[in-house]
Formats: sequence, C-alpha cells, structure tokens
Amino acid sequence: MALSGMRGLSVFISDVRNCQNKEQERVRVDKELANIRTRFKNERGLSVYEKKKYVWKMLYIYMLGYDVDFGHMETVQLISAPKYAEKQVGYIVTSCLLNENHDFLRLVINTVRNDIIGRNETFQCLALTMVGNVGGREFSESLAPDVQKLLISNSCRPLVRKKAALCLLRLYRKNPDVVNVDGWSERMVQLLDERDLGVLTAVMSLLVALVANTPHAYWNCVPKCVRTLERLTRGQDIPQEYTYYGIPSPWLQVKTMRVLQYFPKIDDPTIRKSLLDVLQRILLGTDVVKNVNKNNASHAVLFEALALVMHLDADKEMMSQCVVLLGKFISVREPNIRYLGLENMTRILLVADVADSIKKHQSQIITSLKDPDISIRRRSLDLLYGMCDVSNAKDIVEELLQYLTTADFGIREELALKAAILSEKFAPDLSWYVDVILQLIEKAGDFVSDDIWYRVVQFVTNNDDLQVHAAAKALDYLDKPAVHETMVKVSGYILGEYSHLLARRPGCSPRDIFHILNDKFPAVTTPTKALLLSACVKIMMHCQPPDPELVDQVVAVFRRYESSVDAEVQQRAVEFLALARKGTAFVDIMAEMPKFPERQSPLLKKAEDTDGDASEVSATKIRQQQMQQEQNSTALVVADPQPANGGLHPVSVPKTAAPARHSEQAVTSETPQDSKSFPPSQSQAHSNGGTPQQAPGHTPGSASADLLSDLVGPLSLEAPPPVASTSSSDLLALEAPPTPTAAAATPADSLALALLDSAPTQVQPLGNVSEWFKELTLKDSGVLYEDPYVQIGLKAEWRNAQGRIVLFVGNKHTGPLTNVKSSVLPPPHLRMQSAVVPENIPPRAQVQVPVDVACLSASRETAVLEFSFNVGHAPVSVQLKLPTSLNKFLQVAPVSANEFVARWRALGGPPSKLQEVVRGVRPMPLAEMANLFIRLHIGVANGLDPNVNNVVAATTFYSGTAATLCLVRVETDPSDRTQMRLTVASEDPNTTYELKEFIKEQVMDIPFPGQSPQAATVTPATIPLTGPAAALAGLI
Amino acid sequence: MILAALIMNTQGKPRITKFYDHVSVERQQEILRVVYSVLSSRSGNLCSFVEADDIFGPDTKLVYKHFATLYFVFVIDSAESELGILDLIQVFVETLDRCFKNVCELDIVYNFGKVHTILDEIVMGGQVVETSSAEVMKAVQDIWKLERVGELNPANIRGIGHYKNSRS
Repeated sequence: MALSGMRGLSVFISDVRNCQNKEQERVRVDKELANIRTRFKNERGLSVYEKKKYVWKMLYIYMLGYDVDFGHMETVQLISAPKYAEKQVGYIVTSCLLNENHDFLRLVINTVRNDIIGRNETFQCLALTMVGNVGGREFSESLAPDVQKLLISNSCRPLVRKKAALCLLRLYRKNPDVVNVDGWSERMVQLLDERDLGVLTAVMSLLVALVANTPHAYWNCVPKCVRTLERLTRGQDIPQEYTYYGIPSPWLQVKTMRVLQYFPKIDDPTIRKSLLDVLQRILLGTDVVKNVNKNNASHAVLFEALALVMHLDADKEMMSQCVVLLGKFISVREPNIRYLGLENMTRILLVADVADSIKKHQSQIITSLKDPDISIRRRSLDLLYGMCDVSNAKDIVEELLQYLTTADFGIREELALKAAILSEKFAPDLSWYVDVILQLIEKAGDFVSDDIWYRVVQFVTNNDDLQVHAAAKALDYLDKPAVHETMVKVSGYILGEYSHLLARRPGCSPRDIFHILNDKFPAVTTPTKALLLSACVKIMMHCQPPDPELVDQVVAVFRRYESSVDAEVQQRAVEFLALARKGTAFVDIMAEMPKFPERQSPLLKKAEDTDGDASEVSATKIRQQQMQQEQNSTALVVADPQPANGGLHPVSVPKTAAPARHSEQAVTSETPQDSKSFPPSQSQAHSNGGTPQQAPGHTPGSASADLLSDLVGPLSLEAPPPVASTSSSDLLALEAPPTPTAAAATPADSLALALLDSAPTQVQPLGNVSEWFKELTLKDSGVLYEDPYVQIGLKAEWRNAQGRIVLFVGNKHTGPLTNVKSSVLPPPHLRMQSAVVPENIPPRAQVQVPVDVACLSASRETAVLEFSFNVGHAPVSVQLKLPTSLNKFLQVAPVSANEFVARWRALGGPPSKLQEVVRGVRPMPLAEMANLFIRLHIGVANGLDPNVNNVVAATTFYSGTAATLCLVRVETDPSDRTQMRLTVASEDPNTTYELKEFIKEQVMDIPFPGQSPQAATVTPATIPLTGPAAALAGLI
Repeated sequence: MILAALIMNTQGKPRITKFYDHVSVERQQEILRVVYSVLSSRSGNLCSFVEADDIFGPDTKLVYKHFATLYFVFVIDSAESELGILDLIQVFVETLDRCFKNVCELDIVYNFGKVHTILDEIVMGGQVVETSSAEVMKAVQDIWKLERVGELNPANIRGIGHYKNSRS
C-alpha cells in the first residue's frame, strides 16, 4: 500500500526517529524540505508516485510541528488526479495542511463538486470528508444543494449518506441560510426514520446543530427522536455491528438524548410520558459491571439520561431518584464515574430543588476534595461552592480553609477566592467572617485581593461590636513572624483605628502595639509603609493622656520618613509631624473613620459576572444560566453598585444631624484649591460647610488623594480600574483616615452624611423597571424590581384563566427591612388575592408572597403592586406593574387550514373582526415576529397563508369559564417593515379589540423615555420613584 | 464537538494530530506541549478527563486513554458526552488493532497516512461519522484495495511489520 510501499518515506521517518535531539531533527527536516522544494520546482520531471511521496512527507513534517509553507498547490492538484490513490492523498493532506481561508482551496471547488455529483461513490466520500473538515463559506454556497441531494437520496449507500449529513452540518455552520428551515424540517423527520444506524447517528448530529439554532422549527422531530430512543433501549432491530459491548449503539442513544435537550420544553403529555418511561428504564436498569468498556458505555447512556431528566424538569420523585443515583456514583471506586457524578450533582443543584438531599452527601463530597485526582478535586470544589448556603457555610468554608494548607498550587487561587466569596455571602455572623478572611490571608495571602481586605475593614468600621474582636485578632496575627504583607495592611489599619479598645489587656498598650507595627516597616512595600505611618499617628492620638516616650518614638519614625524618596510616604510623615503639634485639633482630625455607606461587594459582583459569562448554545446550558440568574437574583447580597458619589447628592449635607466631628473634618479641609480636584459633590459640601479653615498640608493633601486613588485604583483581581470619578471616592473612603487632609476626609464624610441624610427618597432601582416588566410579559420568571436594599423576583404559572404569581422579596441589606407592606391593586377584569408580607425582613433573608390571579374578561390593564418598607427610619415606597398582561391568559391554539379559513369567514367584520394599519412598527424580520408571537402564546400557523410576507396565528383566550378562539393575521410589506396591517377576529368584540391593541403595543417601536406619547402604554424607561403619585402616573 | 484528535507517545512526541478547527502550527505545538505536560503528570488510576479551559477555552475538556506507550487524546467541548468519547477512543483503538494486528506505536509512526484514513472514517469535521468498528474496517479495507490498484510495483511493496524488526 501507499505508505509502507514508499521506501523513501519510510527511510525519512526512520531518519527522523534516529535523530538524537531536536536540533538534529531540525537539520534533517530542513534538508528534506529543501529537497522537496527543489523537486517541486522542476515539476516536469516529477512522477505521480514521487509527488504523492513528497506530499505525504510534507504532512509528516507538518505533524512534527514544522511549518510547511509551500507545496500547497501540488497537494491541491492531486485532488484533480484521475486515479483514486492520488486523489486520496490529495484530499487527506489538503484537509490537514490547509484551512478554509486558504486561496488554493477555492481553486478546487469545481473539482470537488464534480466528485460529489459524479457517480463514483469512493470519490464522493473523499470529497465529502474534505469539505466536512475544511469547507468554508464558498463551499456552502456552491455545494449545499448537491450535498442535500446525496443525503436524501435512496440510491446512495449509507457510507456516502452519513458523510453527506456531516458535510451538510459543516456547510450549515458556515452559512445557516443553506438550509431552508421550512422545507427541511419535514426532510429531517423522514431522515429520522432511517434504519441504518450509521446514517442515523450522523443525522442526529446534524439535527443537534439545526435545533440549537431554531428549536421551534424542528418540533415535529421530537416524537421521532423519542421513538428512536425507545427502539434503541429496547434493543429492537439493532444489527450486531452496532452493539457495543452488548449495548445497542450507546453513542446514538447519547446523541438522541442530547438532541432532546436542545428543545426548550417538551410539553406534549403523551410524548413526555413515553420519554420519561424510557428514561426511568435507563435509570433503573444500569448496573456497575466488571468490564471497563461496557461500564463506560452504559454509564455514558445513564449520565445522558440524567441530564435529560434534569432538562425535562421531571417530577420531584424522579429528581430525587437522580440524586440517589448520583450519591451512589460519587462514592464508587471508578474515577470517571466519580468525576461525572460530582459534575452532574453540581448541575442538578442548579435546575432542581434538591439542595437538601444533596446535603446528605456533604461528607462524601468533602472527602472528594482530598482525592488524589485534581480533576475530581475541582469538581468537588465546584459542588461544595454550589451547595453552600447559610446552613452549611461554616462547615464548608472551614473545610476549604483546612484544605488550603495542603492544596497544590494549581487550585489554590480558586480555592481562596471561593472561600472568600462563600464566607461573605453566607456568613452566619460577621466576626466569623473576619476570622475566616484573616485565616485566608495567613494561609494564602498571595491570592487575597485588595477587595477582600477592604471589605473586612468596611465591616469592622460599620459594626461597633466587631471592633474589639477584630483588633485582638489582628494583633495575634501581626505578632507572628513572617507575616504576609496583606496581613500587615489589614491588621495595621485595624490596629490604628481600634487598638485603643484593647488598651486594658496585657500586652496591648499603645506602646506594645506601636512596637509591633514599627517592626514591620523594613519588610513592607512603600504603600504599606504609608498605611503604617497613619496607623502610628492614630495610636499616638489615642494614647490619652499622652505618653511622652511613645510620642518621641513615633515622631522618630516620622522623622525617618520625612525625606523618603516616595512622595506619598514623605508627605504623610511631614504632615503627621506637623499635626502632632496641633493639640486638640489633632484629635479631631484623627478621629475614627465614619461608617461606610452600603456598597456592593466587588468580589461578589465579580463572582456573579463570571457566572453569567458563557458562550455555549445548548439549551441545557441556557437553562442553567437562567436558573443561575434566578438563584443569583434571590441570593441575598449586599449590593449597591450605585456611584456613591454621584447618585446621592449631599447638597444639604452639613445641616443634617451628623456627628460634629464630621463637619469639622470637612471644614478643615475646604479650600478653593482643594475643591477643584474633587467631583462636584464635594465642592457643594464645601460651599455649605462654613468658614474655610486652612489645614496644614492641605494642598499636597489633595494631590495625595489623587495619588491614593491611583494607588488603590486597580481594585479587583484583574479587572480594569474602575471609572475614576465614582471609584476614587469609594477608595478614598477606605484609605481616608490615614491622611488627615481635606482630600481624603471630605469625600468619605460627604458620603456618610449623604447616607444619613435622606437615602430613602433617593433610592433608585438598579435597572430599568419597565424593561424588567417587559421581559416578564414575555417570560414567567425574572426580576420585577431591584434597588440597593431590596430585590423582588417573580415566578408565575398560568393555566387557562387562572394564574399564580410568587413574589420573592429579598432583603439585600445588612440591616433589617422594617414596616414592610405590600398590596396588590387589581384592575376590574382581574380577581386577585395576595398573601400577607411579614412586617420585618431580617438581613439577607427572603420571603415568598404568593398571589393568585383569575381573569374575568379581556383587558390590557395590568395589576399594580404597592410595596413599601423602611430602611432605618426612612420610608421607601414603590409601585410596580405586575405582569398580568393579556397574553398570560392566552394559549396557543393549533388550527388546521380549513378550520382557520372557515372561522375567518364566519367572523365577518367589525366588531368581531377588526382591522387596522399599524405604523411605527419596530422593524423586524418575519421570523422574529413569529417568534414574538410564540412568546406571547399566539400560535403561528406556518404556511397557512400563501403570501410569505404574512403571518397567520391563532390563540385561545381564557376568561372565567369561557375560552375564546382568536385568529390573527398580519400582513407586512417587505419594502417597509415599519408598518403592517393587523387583523384580529374572535367571537367576542371586546376580546378582539383588546387583543388587537395588545399586539399593537407589543410590535410598536420600543419607547424610550420621553419619546412619543404612544409610549405611555408601555411605561417610560425609568420610573421616577421619588413619589407614589409620580410612579402611578407612569404606570397607568 | 470534537475539537482535536491527538495521538502522542509517552515522551510527548506527536504521532497523529488532527485539529477540526483551524489552529496555527505554532499554536498546535504549544497545545501539544501543554497537553503532554498535563497528561504526563497524571498517574494511572485517575479519571480520564481533564478540564482544558486554559488550553482550548471555556468548557473544553481533554478525554484521554493511555495505551502502552501512547496517549489517545480527544479534545471536546461541552456538547459531547465524556464517556461517549471514551467509547469512541476504544472503537478507534480496536479498529487500529484489527488493521495492524496488535497495533504498536511503530505501526502508527510508519503508517500515519493509514491512521488518518481510519480516523477520517470515525470522525469528520469534529462529529462522529461511525461508531461501529466493523463498519469502519469495511470502509477502510475498500479504500486500501482501491489504493493498490495500479500500484503493483513489487519493488515498493514491503510486508507490513518490516519496521518492527528493523527498529533502530
């Protein structure tokens, strides 16, 4: 045969193998490449045999990792050779060496096409394989119809057809237009009747791609897939060669179940039942056996069945059956099964309410965290992360911390991050949180980003009862040898602020603490030195009555850094020296940091961001993401991404009842020079602040603020630095106390004051309320409302004229929400009943409020939820539209063409049938409009209207006990997509009218705030939630 | 989708490389290096899956089997079943075994073209074409028959396995 027959090639391979090192190999390869190059140049003297030999050599060299940038032409030319052997070499090597963008490939499109449409099956196979591997867009355009013909041909051998299926798949990926959705879905149904399992396998792969793109177009394939699965699991009509270790084509079983997961939902009760029966059989009928290969294959099927059960949202019993199985898997010896068991447990956690049954396996999962296999350890870490909640956070986080000491490097960073996130998210109490983070810094300081220790400082500052504990802990850690720099920072800061609270304890005198801090200076970086200087000055200040010896020692430190080359350190040293002589003013300036405003944890935000980030198209995945979002949205997180500075406007700040020292601090700082370097809010604070008073060192102070913000700017792990104007104040707030100057003090103060002042009236939603509402019109779960304190999620189920909405009210805030009230105001056509909300919602807790809805007649009005609560003492109240829109009471009505036409005719004209030309339609392709209709539960009847620019649809409207069939016809003008003629017909004139208006609203241009008056039907984008009246005006 | 099918020996030398998405030569080499360093650090009784996010992007995995001196590695994305791919590797190896009668590394080195032919009958464009070893054999043998036609130059034909004896 070609290869072993080619002596020259064998010799070359042997030569390469005999090379002692890479250098020798390179020399030998270069020699060969030079040789081939010369031979190709004098092409005339080249025999076919030689050409083939050289091309094989090129492929071999290419596989060794050398770039072969010539000879492509010769390779491609072989494709046009008449003999099979040459053609074959040409095709194989081309598909390895060249890629779809290669110019030479285009040259052979014609040859390839001739091979495909020719009669020679072996040529067809070669051509299809090459196109299936490297075919590009041009191939799609010129070959798709021919390939389709081969696939559906009756006369072709299975060998050719299965390749045609996959070739078509490649062409479809390159250009989806090559498959005409309407015509092709019927073809796919027929192809699924295929008896040859090879062809069927390839067809399933093709179907996966088609369904992933346009699931609704391939609904009719679902029953066939289920039947295929039945055939396989029952072992009916399975040829011997497709039985793999006694199992009927496990591969095809897996693929078939995979296809079914790409359909968003399988509702048809009979199909669902037979599918679940099959799955049940698989779940029950799989046992662990000795033979590894058989075991693999049967578990491949089993795991896919599990995934499909999860996707189908099967009943509770079946889900818990899955969890039991998975629980068994995670403790078996076979590592592959263990790995997949853990992976699927993480997955099932996202889609079903099985957290409690999974918790039963917690100890086994923790054991897996110590598995010798890193793949398994990672899965286990993910699962622990996913299953963690308030109830088990302590156990899990402590387990992670323990593991951190022995964990290998590859996983430490992830481990540290996850421990930090979990401890913040689910901390049963804050002192525990502080302990965990300090441990984390001690064990894996390199992986603890600044965000994390900032967060500790924030919590400690904001919680008085935490300060003693934190200071004591900080001292313990700092007193150890070889402390991580992050530990020096966080401990230094905490000790500076709060060590005086420990003064009575032995070994905690200001002098002791100063000595500990002083020892750290030599080993730390400059920014940390600056921080330590501030800590020293604070300790000195707190020491009352002043201890002259301590003062001398501290001053000596300042003197040491007075001439530091680093501007920041030098400046602090100089300023502190001057301040130390200021007497009482010094005490005021150095006062304890005010409380921080609530703000979102950058860490959690980042965690959420990465969670939502994925580019996979599988329906399961999307579903998972949705679930995750739902979970996230109910996860109670301290969140306030609002620009603390811009949003809350502290115009009246200094007039409020803020502690005196705040205003004083503000006062010392304010000078005209200063204010210009700050965002406007500061200068406003300034103008109200009273008599400007020169503080020593204020001018460099302002510069230092900027510098500081630069220093601490790149906050998060690897995220880009946040936008300066909003972030700098955030950051400054943290770093503020060390700098006694205006720059640092003011922003922090004004923030704190602003919060004290009047947060409630300024509570702003964290997104676009009307967008949320709009989304909820189209789907049944999501966010209804969210602001920094509260999040209201919503989940709804609708059946005919009835519905149940469950509101998930979550307190995201660290304080309780009090005086919580909610009431539902139903419009006249709805009857609604709502459960009572508890008056208080504890921090980070969530309550569920079910609301029952019954529809009496058609109307576009929606119900309104009045929701109010108090944060601290300030009331917040919002009014929100509830998604009880007309379409919730619609159900897709399948009607045959005859039925439709008959009905349409019977419903003569107004008022049963109304027609209107709608202008200002949001331009969209017909497919999108059809999609919109489907999402509105208005069933599109494809192909019923002979005019392709029209959409015909039918739906049933339920109210009371009545069901009204409604018919819809949309005529569009392809040349002007902004208008359409809409006709709606039903027996009930009111329903007709309301449905027509409703559809109009849905297809109209998305209104932007303050745009056209017609936008009023859909609420303006941002509801000014400042007053109930204003909100109501926006709603109705 | 299967992103790549690789065969490399336990020294990290590539024996067969086939990428189903275009990857430059330099990148291919880097990939092979990283894959090898990952696999060679894994001992025998660990699972057959390694997350490959760092190498191939998010949601990708290496699924591998170790036979004597060779690693068979398939790189997949999340649309494939891990165990299914292990089955497929088994089918691939069983087919090689039938073709070469007790396949060894040298068979693959000297017959890389044949191995490509076999692989093409099993995977195409990152999708599985055929899972039945018997069917693959049938197709491959037909191809080899065709190749021989008109090429019966006795000087060029040497028995399969000659290199097994002449190993240097």
